[in-house]
Amino acid sequence: MPERIRHPPLDSKKVKQPKAEIHLITDECKGCGFCIQFCPKKVLEESQEINARGVHPPKIVDESKCIICGFCTAVCPDFAIFVVEKPCEEAC
Amino acid sequence: MTEKKELEPTQSSEEVRIGVYVCHCGLNIAGSVDCEEVASFAATLPNVVLAKDNRYTCSDQGQELIKNDIKEHKLNRVVVASCSPRLHEPTFRKTCEEAGLNKYLFEMANIREQCSWVHLHDRKGATEKAKDLVKMAVAKAALLQPAEEIEVPITRKALVIGGGVAGIQASLDLADTGYMVYLVEKEPSIGGMMARIDKTFPTMDCSICILAPKMSDVGHHPNIELLTNSEVVEVKGYIGNFHVKVLQKPRYVTKDCSACDECVKVCPIVAPNEFDAGLAIRHAIYTPFAQAVPSTYTIDMNLCLNKEGVIVCDKCIKACERQAIKFEMKPETFELEAGTIIVATGADVFDPSTLPNYGYGKYLNVITSLEFERLINAGGPSGGHLIRPSDLQIPKRVAFVQCVGSRSDRNGRLYCSNVCCMNTIKDSLLIKEHWPETEIYVFYIDIRAYGKGFEDLYKRARKEGAVFIRGLPAEIIEDRKTSNLWLIGENTLQNEMYKISVDMAILSIGLEPGRDSEVIQRLLTLSRTQDGFFMEAHPKLRPVDAATGGIFFAGCAEAPKDIKDSVTQASAAAARAGILMAKGKVTVEAITPIFYAEKCKACGLCTKVCPYNAITLNKELKRIEIIAAACGGCGTCAAECPFDALTQNHFTDEQILAQIDAVTEHDAEKKIVAFCCNWCAYAGADFAGVSRMQYPPNVRIIRTMCSGRVAAKFVERAFARGASTVLVAGCHPGDCHYINANYQTQKRVERLWKKMEQNGLDKERLQLLWASAAEGERFASKIREMQTIVEKVTPEEIGKAKKIFEKPLGES
Repeated sequence: MPERIRHPPLDSKKVKQPKAEIHLITDECKGCGFCIQFCPKKVLEESQEINARGVHPPKIVDESKCIICGFCTAVCPDFAIFVVEKPCEEAC
Repeated sequence: MTEKKELEPTQSSEEVRIGVYVCHCGLNIAGSVDCEEVASFAATLPNVVLAKDNRYTCSDQGQELIKNDIKEHKLNRVVVASCSPRLHEPTFRKTCEEAGLNKYLFEMANIREQCSWVHLHDRKGATEKAKDLVKMAVAKAALLQPAEEIEVPITRKALVIGGGVAGIQASLDLADTGYMVYLVEKEPSIGGMMARIDKTFPTMDCSICILAPKMSDVGHHPNIELLTNSEVVEVKGYIGNFHVKVLQKPRYVTKDCSACDECVKVCPIVAPNEFDAGLAIRHAIYTPFAQAVPSTYTIDMNLCLNKEGVIVCDKCIKACERQAIKFEMKPETFELEAGTIIVATGADVFDPSTLPNYGYGKYLNVITSLEFERLINAGGPSGGHLIRPSDLQIPKRVAFVQCVGSRSDRNGRLYCSNVCCMNTIKDSLLIKEHWPETEIYVFYIDIRAYGKGFEDLYKRARKEGAVFIRGLPAEIIEDRKTSNLWLIGENTLQNEMYKISVDMAILSIGLEPGRDSEVIQRLLTLSRTQDGFFMEAHPKLRPVDAATGGIFFAGCAEAPKDIKDSVTQASAAAARAGILMAKGKVTVEAITPIFYAEKCKACGLCTKVCPYNAITLNKELKRIEIIAAACGGCGTCAAECPFDALTQNHFTDEQILAQIDAVTEHDAEKKIVAFCCNWCAYAGADFAGVSRMQYPPNVRIIRTMCSGRVAAKFVERAFARGASTVLVAGCHPGDCHYINANYQTQKRVERLWKKMEQNGLDKERLQLLWASAAEGERFASKIREMQTIVEKVTPEEIGKAKKIFEKPLGES
């Protein structure tokens, strides 16, 4: 539909986005970069630190952007990343 | 397609026997033309067997006389010199047919509108002109050929483009009549603008409540195939036989969807909902509104994380119990056959952010009338509470600003949008109904309450206390602390400045042509008015027909209009389409091209100029193919063909050249040879006659269907035969009856001007005029202006032009 949208939606506060808690097991990471590449919300990027396996593991840029799709967990060959939803008492 | 071979044997060996009838039309013609003299002159012309003058040729006795003469004197051509062929050609054609003569063997000389009425005080000049006009008609008549009109079958299916209220009504009407209807809508649901409006004026009915049953009817009707998320991508063919390609974008949700809303709850992506004018949110998987038809949900692939078949997020798939979500769905192309097309593509709304003085987009509390509709709607984002966006409080003082994007030079939209005045009055009553204490100010230029029950509503609004102030605000300024707005302007009724503070301002935005109009125009070869809305075939008598056969308009696509008018027009369009389909066949006037295959060099020039795509180039056979049913009959192809392989039935090169020769036989140096298109310039000349506008009698008008028929060689022949000046006249660019054929006219005339200049001729001797059917004075003053040129042209110049233009004629 045509007209330009100029105002923020009035009910945008009503929608509660799930709050994510991303867990990285950095020493398990072998630095393939799949999680960084495939994250649809670009939550991760390569860090400067060097882990036990001698590679750069990912780091979290903005946890609040994560929508807990779980794709990073699915693509990680080394089971080095998983996401849980924060319980509402903490998050909301 | 008509080929020369089929036509040749008919009359070539037979002796041509022409009967000429000069009509007095009471004193209308006889008052300034000596009809007896014209008749006795006609009797001396070649091939004329008899010439008579009578008081009223169109009367029953006059027609009987013609019929008897056809039988008694074995006439095989008839010429009537009387009024305009636009008036009585059909009458006399019928007379001829009744006497067993093919109707294309009849020709008319216009000695009333274009002679007696415009030369009221010059009996001698008018009589001479009448003689010439009869001579031209006789010259053409001698070359006339009988023709048969072809019949084209019509597919009994209709295509409706656009699923707003107009498209819905047209589809239902056609489907109820018994025809199969394809309804194509580009959005996921039908309903259009009407579904978004809260209440309708003047009855204050709930808009969606009266629309939803119709939408549901469309969804369930056995004769309607509904194609949502779809766009027409290709239209080929012609009246009765359109081949249409429709591209349907995938919904990614199958018909198994039960609209349970479980998927929406888990979808992590949110965005503003277009249906609510961005005032509410929706998810990537959604249904535009509760009453949507079809009710199947849809996934917005621009938002969804699962691009190109890679399932990143499977939350909706997991949530859907009926397993209706299929990300592997692909776009589909449907090929449809339709006999008629109804264009109901609707309108868009004006974007007020282009007017910085109103601060829309900058100040939160300045909203559009469409946003207001969603705010006041119980199904909208605020649940029907009128709240202002800045603090979500109910406003105490509200202003409406009219004509935002209408009736203004500044934004280039000069037209009145038709619905905004009544919409504002309705809105102010809605506010008063729920919150009677609210102060309402309406700033307007004029309040246009023209329809049934509109004035009553206007009175009611004033009685309820809405204040109407004439004079739009010059500027809206926001108070930064309170977010209230100051409206500053001039009250033109009281001649004083105002500065009024309100809590919220609503801009009554106008309607503008749909953003897809250009695509639709190109696909269906339609024409549009200057405003950008589609143009009808005739503004009074064929208001829902397109100039292209078999296509009709409904709703705001044609011009801004309210729901009632849209529905009325939709039913009218359905009836017009129904007439065609009920007959099951259509006859095409035999003014289609004649093709001489042996002369064709397959250059393809004709295919490029044809406004109807009726000519295609067959590269294998190295010749063109003509679809006569698609032909509009403008003759542009015949004018364009450099090898004389094409000419137009009933307006052949020989016939027009014979007319030119007849004009230029005597005193050519004093005459103006004018070529006028049937629809605008010729009609304009007729209008000059009806209005008795006087102009010099030395102009001789040759009628063609379109100015695009005027080949360069016609103009060249006129100059070669010593004509002093030539006029080519047609419809205004953009108003051409044949879509855009008159652009070819312009090109040809420009080429001729160039040629004249190169050869040292005064290019003023060739004039080009755009005159509509209503511009009689424009035509008359052009002739007066050309008279001064005629007087200026010297015999040497005429001799020079003769030499220059004789040569190329000899070659061809």
